[in-house]
Amino acid sequence: MTEPFIDAKHRVLRRTVRAFCEQELRPIAAEIDQEARFPWEVAEQMGRLGYFGIQAPPELGGAGLDTVSYAIIIEEVSRVSAAIGLCLSVHNSVALFPLLAFGSAEQHQRWVPSLARGERIGAFCLTEPNAGSDASGINATALPDGDHWVVNANKVFVTNGGIADICLIFARTDPAAGRKGISVIVAERGIPGFVVGDLEDLCGMRANPVSSIRLYDSRVPRDHLLGKTGQGLAIGLAALDTGRIGIAAQALGIAQAALDEGVRYAQQRQQFGVPLARHQAIQMMIADMATQVDAARMMVYRAAWTKDQGAVVSRTAAQAKLFASEAACTVTDLAVQIHGGYGYSKAYAVERYYRDARVTRIYEGTSEVHRMVIAREVLG
Amino acid sequence: MAIHSIVCIKSVVRAAPDGVGRRTPENSELNPFDRPALEAALRIKAAEGGTLTVLSMGPPVGVEALAEAQAMGADRTILISDAALAGSDTLVTARVLAAAIARIGACDLIFFGTRSADSDTGQVGPQTAAVLALPFVGGVKQIERRDGIWEIRRLMDDWEELWQVDVPLALTIHPKAFKPRSIALPGIAGAYAQPAIETWGIRELTLAADQVGLSGSPTRVTRMQKVVRKRVCRMLEGEPQQQVEALIAHLGRMGMMST
Repeated sequence: MTEPFIDAKHRVLRRTVRAFCEQELRPIAAEIDQEARFPWEVAEQMGRLGYFGIQAPPELGGAGLDTVSYAIIIEEVSRVSAAIGLCLSVHNSVALFPLLAFGSAEQHQRWVPSLARGERIGAFCLTEPNAGSDASGINATALPDGDHWVVNANKVFVTNGGIADICLIFARTDPAAGRKGISVIVAERGIPGFVVGDLEDLCGMRANPVSSIRLYDSRVPRDHLLGKTGQGLAIGLAALDTGRIGIAAQALGIAQAALDEGVRYAQQRQQFGVPLARHQAIQMMIADMATQVDAARMMVYRAAWTKDQGAVVSRTAAQAKLFASEAACTVTDLAVQIHGGYGYSKAYAVERYYRDARVTRIYEGTSEVHRMVIAREVLG
Repeated sequence: MAIHSIVCIKSVVRAAPDGVGRRTPENSELNPFDRPALEAALRIKAAEGGTLTVLSMGPPVGVEALAEAQAMGADRTILISDAALAGSDTLVTARVLAAAIARIGACDLIFFGTRSADSDTGQVGPQTAAVLALPFVGGVKQIERRDGIWEIRRLMDDWEELWQVDVPLALTIHPKAFKPRSIALPGIAGAYAQPAIETWGIRELTLAADQVGLSGSPTRVTRMQKVVRKRVCRMLEGEPQQQVEALIAHLGRMGMMST
């Protein structure tokens, strides 16, 4: 019997990524969460092995894999460390993907190879203090001045912010044009006026250096415009369609990890003279968890597979992200419940999974925004 | 000097259920004891140049283990798969591998893992060397070529042996001697972009059906069953000193500690 949407290549890939994560990431996953430390020692290895250029073509230094592969990689990495899964998802899908999809050949040569090899890290800078779900409400500006753009932006909750070298900045190039005046400018860290803010002290995903990024009168060359002027929101939405598959895969990985730990603990822990797994109350939880994980996996892989067929993916990706992130919260909650008091302790991994799961319902589109997207598709 | 190496690998059953397990892609994987052998051969190729051919005998599911070998850097991969081979014991496996190695042609080094994670006999490497009448060194931890002579080191208990051997030569690689590399993702894409795994049956090896499989094998597995060891918990009584003495005496009686 074969698993739907998965072929032999994907199975080999899954085994490969799982073995790498168990060997290199598992031993430090709890520690990097507690210390809120980004593990460069593992990230550099991942860079050499192609994890930062999953779908980039080999001629630009990438691994040349498909979207199903991308989902499997994010799932497997997130199963061990969701914070590193997040780093890869954002880098690959909302930073590298739009550069590949909308960049010129010259821009590809300039940015893609170093990003694909993990030598430089990408970030997606859309959210502002007063513009989240309503992306069209941003205040950042990039105004033409000679052969440069003068960029002023206050971007918050930037995933990879503390380590990002190449940032996609959403800014108004024509402030009078409303939604149609938003463009994407690629800003490189280190240019004058580019400031990385303090790292956020977050509930979960702590090994990812999420920060604000601000630009004060930063002068960016005119050829750092991605796509055309006014194309910003379209680029953002296209990037988020891909990003949603990544975040859905991440939520799936967290949920699978929580299920694994829940099952293991239920089989080991004895209460009333028998393992927890012999109690029907626990069996009901395990059954629900396994069903949610299974359904989430089918939806995530289907969305990825749909994208690989070249079809429009907005609805399937939104449904996968909505379902998988809600499932991750339910499943991690039940895993904590199975662990009882120990599940509330940092001594057990489910405590971290519980914290990490929560944000999957918020970032790259909240569950509510996804319901809006889905409803619009259903109702026409 | 270009070195031509062959690595023999196996796709093993990860967790066998009671009885004879059916192999599926989900319960099969590249034998972990073969990874250090692949690594050793890849390092020789990197240092000396040459080619690396990877050979596996088994059901069709073995193509996934060969794809991994290809993703790691193998130049050529061959699966020997034939319904007639079902039930082959280690001797027949060695004869089949030897026939395949002979068909591949001239080579310098033939690598094996020390054993397989599922049947665990440790026989196929040395038996293949015997069938081919080649020199053999087992449990190798270091391979060097000095002034055209191959120097092979292996660990035996507390002794290190140094062998000087002529090629062609067969070796099993100590499981801890070469840390296998992580597979790079572009390698996986590459292995499937141009699927190049060759499949040979017994006809290509000019073997007859009655020479192989169950009918050709002098040994056969008649039954498999899970062995469950019952664990007994015994509480020691008394003061710590007495408990320690009782524990030492008990371990001594079990032959696990000299008293």
